[in-house]
Amino acid sequence: MNFVHILASAGGPGPKTFKVLTVADRALEAVNTNLWMTALYLLLAVLAVAGLIAFLGMSLIYMERKVAGHFQCRLGPMRVGPHGIFQTVADTVKLLLKEDIIPRDADQLMHLVAPFLSLTATVLVLMIIPYSPTLQIVDLNIGVLFVTAITGFGVLGILLGGWASNNKWSLLGGMRAGAQIISYEISATLAIMVMVLFSGTLSLSGIVQSQEAGWWIWRAPVVGLVGFILFLIASVAEINRTPFDIPEGESELTGGFNTEYSGMRFAFFFLAEFINIFTVAAITVTLFLGGWMPLHIGDFAGFNHAMDIIPPVAWFLGKTFVIIFIIMWLRWTFPRLRVDQLMHLEWKIMLPIGFANLLLGAVLVLFNFYFFP
Amino acid sequence: MGLLDTKDMKKGSGTVGGVAVSTVTVPRLKRHDTARDVGFSLKELGRGMKLTLGYFARPKTVVTSQYPENRDTLKLAERFRASLKLKYDDKGWHNCTGCGICERICPNNSIILTTRKGEVTGKKELDRYVWRMDSCTFCNSCVVACPFDALEMGPEFENAVYDRRLLIYTLNRYAGPAAKVLAKHEPEQHAAMMEPRDRFGGDTPLNGVAMPKVEPLKKANHNNEGDAS
Repeated sequence: MNFVHILASAGGPGPKTFKVLTVADRALEAVNTNLWMTALYLLLAVLAVAGLIAFLGMSLIYMERKVAGHFQCRLGPMRVGPHGIFQTVADTVKLLLKEDIIPRDADQLMHLVAPFLSLTATVLVLMIIPYSPTLQIVDLNIGVLFVTAITGFGVLGILLGGWASNNKWSLLGGMRAGAQIISYEISATLAIMVMVLFSGTLSLSGIVQSQEAGWWIWRAPVVGLVGFILFLIASVAEINRTPFDIPEGESELTGGFNTEYSGMRFAFFFLAEFINIFTVAAITVTLFLGGWMPLHIGDFAGFNHAMDIIPPVAWFLGKTFVIIFIIMWLRWTFPRLRVDQLMHLEWKIMLPIGFANLLLGAVLVLFNFYFFP
Repeated sequence: MGLLDTKDMKKGSGTVGGVAVSTVTVPRLKRHDTARDVGFSLKELGRGMKLTLGYFARPKTVVTSQYPENRDTLKLAERFRASLKLKYDDKGWHNCTGCGICERICPNNSIILTTRKGEVTGKKELDRYVWRMDSCTFCNSCVVACPFDALEMGPEFENAVYDRRLLIYTLNRYAGPAAKVLAKHEPEQHAAMMEPRDRFGGDTPLNGVAMPKVEPLKKANHNNEGDAS
């Protein structure tokens, strides 16, 4: 145990304290003085999330296409605007103007509801992500539980869409999505639970603050890194991206659950898919990479102060986009897994590793054996 | 049947039912242990990721051409096939003897050759070499089949037109004998031997089609001798 104590004494200057103030807190404070202010804060929150969705949808789709292009020795969109930056805008307009086709034998109501369900689940997660100490809509004390529950809710939209389309491909895609997401949710949750053990809180903001002395990915010896990798793989599988995109599998299912969708409904599925990349990356950053915490290295006070100058929001977004880039990198490098390989990977490889990781993490926490305790 | 390791094959001899036979003993191929498999897989995944990141990091590897902006500097492959041409030497003579092998080998009947009897030589010579781009698949068979090396495929690919009759070309610039024959004759005879041909003149096989502002063409008759225009 000596080793840990030495490390701890070497660990960093006096930690800079961050006071967390969410929009919900501000609104609650204002209730006593001015109801209008409360309403304003709530409106601001709604607008901010809506704006974030629009911005993320546009930028991530553009980024994906550019990244994909360059990974494949192409340029990606180049025509609409300089370097094609307005390509996504043009595509959105096209989708808005497109005819909304509903198959005759489809379940009309469910067919309509499915894309909205899918998007709603995503938007709800955006609400509780701590972007910076002062920029968070609401800090739930059961934040992690909320995230796990809501991401599982997203699959409902996909399943509904697949079922309601009344199409073989859609149904197969929906069922595959169900099987896949439910399987990988286990690994993702196991990885999250390790971090909950270490930080001792379920609130996302609390988890970020617990990483003041160091990010969990290296502060929790081995367990953090293994958890990070497990969570990343499970997350990629949960958001149906290559190499785990069997629910869509163009070459097998002509689009999977969204085969029968067109126009704005398709756009909603598409948008949910891309916002999901962001939420998954954001949760990964929050749990393992210190959220909005700046990078601090031990005793280097000068370096640490320089890092403190960069605003927390920039730290958060920077880390998030690095993770997003890694997810895109995986997508454009690896081929798609077969269904049985997918299940093999989860149930026979990742699940045992996840349990072992959780057990090891519990032991480490019990004996306080982690860096800078 | 399991995998066999042919590297450690051993030849020997044995007896089967009292008869001496030569035998081959081949050991089973050993399965890789799991650790090695996992290590190998991870290594290969890393290799793939390194490769794609290399492409991403070096924009020089991009192969896309920004056509039509780069029209002036456009580089086409040497073997690019977009239009059939007759080869002409520096005197403007072609090598076509009108043998008709290309016409026969063409899978779509896109080549229609008409020949005539040369006034000076009294022998068969090319009258009109009609190439129908509208039905051509650019298979290159004609170029390969030509025994006189008279044909080539060119890179001129911007050939879109509004009337498909404009896709029917006469390839030869003159009706007359091939370069070899011309070379044997005196220069003053050449003018009499060569009759100019334009790109769109003559009958085309797409006859009788009325289009706005375009007159129907005359009925094609390829066995005609002489210039029908």
